[in-house]
Amino acid sequence: MRDDPHVVALVSRASEGNQDAWHEIVDRYAPLVYTICTRYRLSNHDIEDVGQNVWLLLVEQLGKLREPAALPGWLATTTSRECLRVVTAANKAERLGTGLDDSVVFVDETMIDEEILVAERNAALHAAFAELPPRCQRLLSMLMSDPPHSYAEIHAELRIPVGSIGPQRARCLDRLRRSSILAAFGEGEAKIDIRGGEPGA
Amino acid sequence: MRSDWDDDRLLGALSEAIKARQAVPSWFIETGKNAFAWHNIDAELAQLTYDSNVDRREAAVMRSETASIRALTFTSDHLTLELEVTGNSLLGQLLPPRSGELEIQTRAGEISTTHVDEIGCFSVDPIPDSPFRLRCRAADGTDVLTGWITI
Repeated sequence: MRDDPHVVALVSRASEGNQDAWHEIVDRYAPLVYTICTRYRLSNHDIEDVGQNVWLLLVEQLGKLREPAALPGWLATTTSRECLRVVTAANKAERLGTGLDDSVVFVDETMIDEEILVAERNAALHAAFAELPPRCQRLLSMLMSDPPHSYAEIHAELRIPVGSIGPQRARCLDRLRRSSILAAFGEGEAKIDIRGGEPGA
Repeated sequence: MRSDWDDDRLLGALSEAIKARQAVPSWFIETGKNAFAWHNIDAELAQLTYDSNVDRREAAVMRSETASIRALTFTSDHLTLELEVTGNSLLGQLLPPRSGELEIQTRAGEISTTHVDEIGCFSVDPIPDSPFRLRCRAADGTDVLTGWITI
């Protein structure tokens, strides 16, 4: 995933001033930046502050990133550093002489690395999903809704015969699985697998 | 993606990916998208290279009397800005010393200006109560922009 050509192209287009490319970067990686902020247990106000700094730093660095494909890593590291600054400043204001606050200790590099992998995987899944035919997108969306729609509801909404829903689900997921975007993702996945993967496996 | 994932697992992963994106508040996304307005600002960027709040963190473990003056240093290739909070003012020094104009920019887009004297000293008074950044246009043509500052 480190040489994902799509990310390289996004960074390149954004650095040339393409606003759509920038918006896609934000859409793809806002969950990564946001999740790391929540790991540091920041208030919404502080999260907004960190977010502003991180995105502005990225805007300024766009043309200078040595490895555009490593953007998720850059974002995670920068977010973590900005969070730490906010937490440290807050601790300093609140206490005198109690030393370090334990609240930051649980955020370590392993966690950050995992968040990067999850963010890359999620971005790939999103992109692959967006390339599915609309009928597949609609069917899978209904199957993923919480609570899940019954086959009768799916039949009423999408006019798919109840007996065809299962086979169509399988076909749509197979398309997703064979997507070139996801195929490019393989290697980093193994690390996530160690932790047990997704429910329902 | 692992090609050996079965359907349930793949659907579960896709569902997580979509939920992760939905969990991000829209204001957070907007903040990110709006940041693009700062693209291509024609100034050299000065990075924060010292922050007393952060650098005193280790020292605070051993000594508790460290709550003193807040000091920050921003460094670029051609210019260093040293900042120090004194009461309600922010005192600054350009190194190497030179005169010029200093802009104080807020995120709302407000800009105020102050003069930098011949020995490179300036003061920002009062200190903005929201995040701000400084753009220094020295008389010799050096143009430097700091990162965002919260005092």
